[in-house]
Amino acid sequence: MLESKQIPKESIVFSILLYLCGFLLFWEWLRPLEVISDTGNMTLLVLYAGFCFFLSILRVSAWISVPLKIAGLLFILDGLFMQEIITTRQWLMVFQTQLQYNTEMIMEQQWTHLTPFFRSLLFLILLWLMSYLVHYWFVIARRVFLFILLTFIYITVLDTFTAYQADEAIVRTFIVSMFTLALSNFSMQMDKESLKPAYGNWFVSTVIPIIIILPLVTILGYFAPKAEPQWPDPVPFITSTADYAGFGEGGSSTTQKVGYGEDDSNLGGSFIQDNTTVFEVEASQSHYWRIESKDRYTGKGWERSTELAYQTQPNGNIDLDMHTEQVDTIQQYASVHYTSDANFSKVVYPYGINNVSNGTHLNYLLDQETGIIEVEGPEQQEGSVYFDLTYQYPSFSLNQLEAAGGDYPAPIEDLYLQLPNSLPDRVVDLAEEITAEDQTRYDKVKTVESYFDHNGFTYQSEDIAVPGRREDYVDQFLFDTQVGYCDNFSTSMVVMLRSLDIPARWVKGFTGGQIVNNNPNGVSSYYNTYQVTNNNAHSWVEVYFPGVGWVPFEPTVGFSNNADFYQEADADPDSNDEQDAEEEVNAEEEEESEQEHQEDEQALGSEASQDGAALWNGYLLVGLTLGLVIIAVVLFFARYRLLTLLFIKRYKHFNDERSLDKAYHFLLRVLQHKGIKRKQGQTIREYARQVDAFFDSNQMTQLTGYYERMIYRSDATLHDHEKILELWKNLLRRAWS
Amino acid sequence: MMQNPVSYHSQISKVLDNINKVIIGKEEVTTLSIVALLAEGHVLLEDVPGVGKTMLVRTLAKSLDCEFKRIQFTPDLLPSDVTGVSIYNPKEQVFEFRNGPIMGDIVLADEVNRTSPKTQSSLLEAMEEGSVTVDGQTVDLQKPFFVMATQNPIEYEGTYPLPEAQLDRFLIKLKMGYPSEEQELQMLEATAKKHPIESIEAVMHKDELLQLQEQVGEVFIDKMVQNYIVQLVKGTRNHKAIYLGASPRASIALMKAAKAYAFIHDRDYVIPDDVKYLAPYVLSHRIILKPEAKFEGIDTTSLVSELLAKLTVPMRKEYS
Repeated sequence: MLESKQIPKESIVFSILLYLCGFLLFWEWLRPLEVISDTGNMTLLVLYAGFCFFLSILRVSAWISVPLKIAGLLFILDGLFMQEIITTRQWLMVFQTQLQYNTEMIMEQQWTHLTPFFRSLLFLILLWLMSYLVHYWFVIARRVFLFILLTFIYITVLDTFTAYQADEAIVRTFIVSMFTLALSNFSMQMDKESLKPAYGNWFVSTVIPIIIILPLVTILGYFAPKAEPQWPDPVPFITSTADYAGFGEGGSSTTQKVGYGEDDSNLGGSFIQDNTTVFEVEASQSHYWRIESKDRYTGKGWERSTELAYQTQPNGNIDLDMHTEQVDTIQQYASVHYTSDANFSKVVYPYGINNVSNGTHLNYLLDQETGIIEVEGPEQQEGSVYFDLTYQYPSFSLNQLEAAGGDYPAPIEDLYLQLPNSLPDRVVDLAEEITAEDQTRYDKVKTVESYFDHNGFTYQSEDIAVPGRREDYVDQFLFDTQVGYCDNFSTSMVVMLRSLDIPARWVKGFTGGQIVNNNPNGVSSYYNTYQVTNNNAHSWVEVYFPGVGWVPFEPTVGFSNNADFYQEADADPDSNDEQDAEEEVNAEEEEESEQEHQEDEQALGSEASQDGAALWNGYLLVGLTLGLVIIAVVLFFARYRLLTLLFIKRYKHFNDERSLDKAYHFLLRVLQHKGIKRKQGQTIREYARQVDAFFDSNQMTQLTGYYERMIYRSDATLHDHEKILELWKNLLRRAWS
Repeated sequence: MMQNPVSYHSQISKVLDNINKVIIGKEEVTTLSIVALLAEGHVLLEDVPGVGKTMLVRTLAKSLDCEFKRIQFTPDLLPSDVTGVSIYNPKEQVFEFRNGPIMGDIVLADEVNRTSPKTQSSLLEAMEEGSVTVDGQTVDLQKPFFVMATQNPIEYEGTYPLPEAQLDRFLIKLKMGYPSEEQELQMLEATAKKHPIESIEAVMHKDELLQLQEQVGEVFIDKMVQNYIVQLVKGTRNHKAIYLGASPRASIALMKAAKAYAFIHDRDYVIPDDVKYLAPYVLSHRIILKPEAKFEGIDTTSLVSELLAKLTVPMRKEYS
C-alpha cells in the first residue's frame, strides 16, 4: 500500500473511534433520564441518537443526511404517538394540529401544556443537534476534555442530588474518558508532528499502553478503598422538600401525617408529628396494640396477597390462633376507649386476644390471616367507642424459641416467604453475611433484629427517602440512607428474614402509649390508664416459629420489644426469682426509656428541621462553590478573550511607554495562546515575521518596529499613536478571527 | 509572505549597489565587509583562490575613493616588506622612511597564512595599534585603515596558522563561497567585454567615510542588549565542547559590529537581532573547540548558533 494512503486511513480510524467514544459519553447523558424523569422509550431515543451520530461520521452531504434524519424523527413520532397511517391526509392533519397547538402554547408561555408529542419532537431535535456538537468537539476541533468534564459533573451532580445511582455510570464514563483522552492526545500529537508511524509502531505506541493501563487503572480504582460520603445523602431531603418537584412521581406528596392508615403500598417519605389522642387504654401493663399484618412486599411497600375473608366471631369470642398451646399465657383484661379522633373502626388488641365486648350487641368480624377485627353494628356510636378486652398475654420461652426447628406449614411458607423478584441481591447477601455464624433460627432473628442498632442506623421521621422508580425500599434504607422510622426498620427486618427462609410478616398497630393516670378508679393500682396518640402508630415484625407460632420482634432503633420472654431456669429456683425481679426492673426501665424516647422524638422534630436548614445551607454552599468553580473554569478558558475586550476598551491611545509595553506583551500572550509559539532565543522581530507569515500581513512587524524603538532605544516619545493603536487592535482582532 | 523591505542608510546603500555591480551575488559578504569598515575593524576572508576576494577589496576601495594597497604574503616575506624600511639618504645624511604597502587606506593582505609568524605579527600589530614602529620610529597609519586579509583554508600545504591571539584582531571572519550557477553565468556575461571594475566610479569620499565611522560610534546600545552580548560571550566560555571561549575583546567587537550593522540599516540603536545576526561572524574564529568536539565534526559557527537559540532575548523593560 502506498505510504500516502495510510495516513488518512489511520486518522479516519482515530476519528471514528473518538466519535464512538463521544457517543458513549453522550449515552451517559441519556441514561439518567429514565430514572429522574418520566421519559419512556429510552431505547428508541438512544437508537435515534446513534442514527444521527452514524450519519455524521459518514459525512454524507446534508442533502442526504437531513432528509434521513427527518424521516427517522417522523418515524419515531409516528410509532409513539400516531394512530393514523404515516403520510396519509389524516396523519398530516394530526401532525399539523399538534404543531399548531403547541406553537400557540409556546407563544402563551404555557410550558406545561405542551403535548408529549411535541416534547418528544423537541427532544429528538436536541439529540440531532447534540450529534453535531459532539461531532464538532471530537472530530473537528479534537477538544474532548470539556465534554468529558461536563459529563463527569453532570453524572456526579445527578448522583448526588437525584435518585439516579451513578455507580456504574461513573466507572463506564471513566473508562471511556481515559480511552478518549489517550486517543485524542495521540491523534493531536500525530497532527502536530505530522508523524508517519508505521502500522506496527502505531499499534505498539498507542494501543498496547492503553490496553495495559486502562484495565489496570480501572481495576485499581474499583478495588481501592474509597472515602465515605462526606455529607448525608441529600436526596431524601430534596424529595421531601420539593413536594411538587416532579421527579416522575406525578408530584405526589411524600409527607404524611403520622397515624394509622390503610394504604402501605408506597412507604417512605417524611411524616408530621401528630399528638392527637386516638384511644385510651386501661390495662395492667403497656402492650403493643396490634391491628393487622401484611404479607406481600412489593419493593415499595406492603400489600395483602389474599382477599379479606371475614368470619363472624360469635359473642365476641375471637378465634385468633397466633400461638400454640405450648406458649405460657396470663389472663388479663383491658378496656380501650376510642376518641372521636380515631379514624378507623378496627379493634386494637394485645397479643393473646380471645374476647371483645362492649355491652351493646355488636358483631365482630375476624380475618384470620391478617388478624383484622372489624366491628359491625346497628349504628356506630358517635364520640367515644369502647371495648373490653380479655386476653391471654403470651410469654415466650427462649428455650422453646431456640429449640424451634423443623419445617414450616405449607400455607405459612406460601404467604410469608414471598419476596419480589426485583429485590437486589445485596440485601440477601447482607442478611446471609450477618447471620453466617448463627446456629439457630432464633439467633438469626435476633441478629437481624439488632443489626440496625449495632450498625449506626438512626431513627428519624423527617427527610426520609421515597424509593425511586427503580429502587427498592429496603435496599435504599439498608445501603443508602440508613435513616428512617419504624416502617423502614420493620420492613427491612421482614425482608431480610424472608431472604433467609424464615417466615415473617409485617405488623401494624400502636405502641403502648403514655401513662396518664395511675390508679384510675381509685380502687387498685393494678390498672393504669395509657393514652395512645397518633404518634404511637407503629409497625413491627412477627416471626413464625414452628411449635410456637408468631412471635413479635422489634427492630426499630430506640424501641424495645415489650413482649415477654423468659429463660426456663433449670438450675436453682433462687436465680429464677432474681431473674424475674431483674426482668421487671428491666421492663420498667424500658418503659421509661420509651417515654423518654417519645419525648425526644418530638424534640427531634424541631431539631430535624434545624438539621434540614443546616443541610440546606450545606447544599447552598456546595452549589455556590460548584457555581464558582464553573465560573472560574469558564473564565480561565475565556481569559484571553475577556482580557482582549478589556484591553481594547482600556487603551484608547498609548500615551506612555508602559501602556504600550503592557499592550504589546498582552498581544504576544494572545498570539502564543492562539498557537503561534515563540521559541526560546527568538527575537521579537523574528517572531513578528513568523506572525506575519501566519496572517499573511506585515502588521506585526510594523508594530514590533515601534515597540523595538521604544525598548531598545529607550525612546519614550511615541509618535504615530493612532497607527500603533490601530495595528495593535487589528492584530488582536485577527488573532481572534 | 510580505516582508518589510530592508532599509539601508542612504549613503551606504549607494556603496553597496556600486559594489554589487562588480561582485555578483555576494551581498552578505559585501555588507559584512562594510560593517567591519564602519566599525573600524578588519576582515579575515577564508577561502580558496579565485572566488573574488581581491576584486571585492578593490571594488570597495574604488567605490570609497580610497587608496588600495596589496601585500602578497609569501614564505620569504619580511616584516619590513610590510611596514616599510628606513633607507639612508647619503645626500641628506639621514635615514628616510619608505612607506611599506601597509600605508594604505584599504589593504589587501593576500594569503596571510603563507608567511612566517614574524611577518604575520608585523601586520597584525599594525592592525591593532593603528601605527607601525620601524627602527624605533613610530609612524601612525592614516585613516581610514582597513585590512582585508585572506587565508587559504588551514588544511592546505605550506601554511602557518594564525595564532589565536592574532585571529582575535580580526573583527569578522568571512567565507566567500562559490557563486551559484546563475550568478557565475551573470558574471561571465558582465566581464565579457570589459571588467566591470573599470566602469565603476567612486560614490563616496574618504572624508565622508570617516564621518560615517564617527556616527557609528554614536549609535545607541541599550543596557539590555549589552547584557545580551555579555551573556552570549559568557556562554562560549562555559560550553562543554569549547576549550577556549571568546574574550572580552570579543564582546567589544560584537558590540561595535552590531552598532555598525544597525547604522547600515539606518537605525540609531542596536536591537538584539543585530547581535544575533553578527555573532557567528564575530565569535566563531575566537573560539577553540576541544579536540573531541572537533573529531565529532562540530564547528564553531553551529556552536554559536546553538548558544543563540538557547539564550533568552531581552524584550521587556524593567520598570522600577
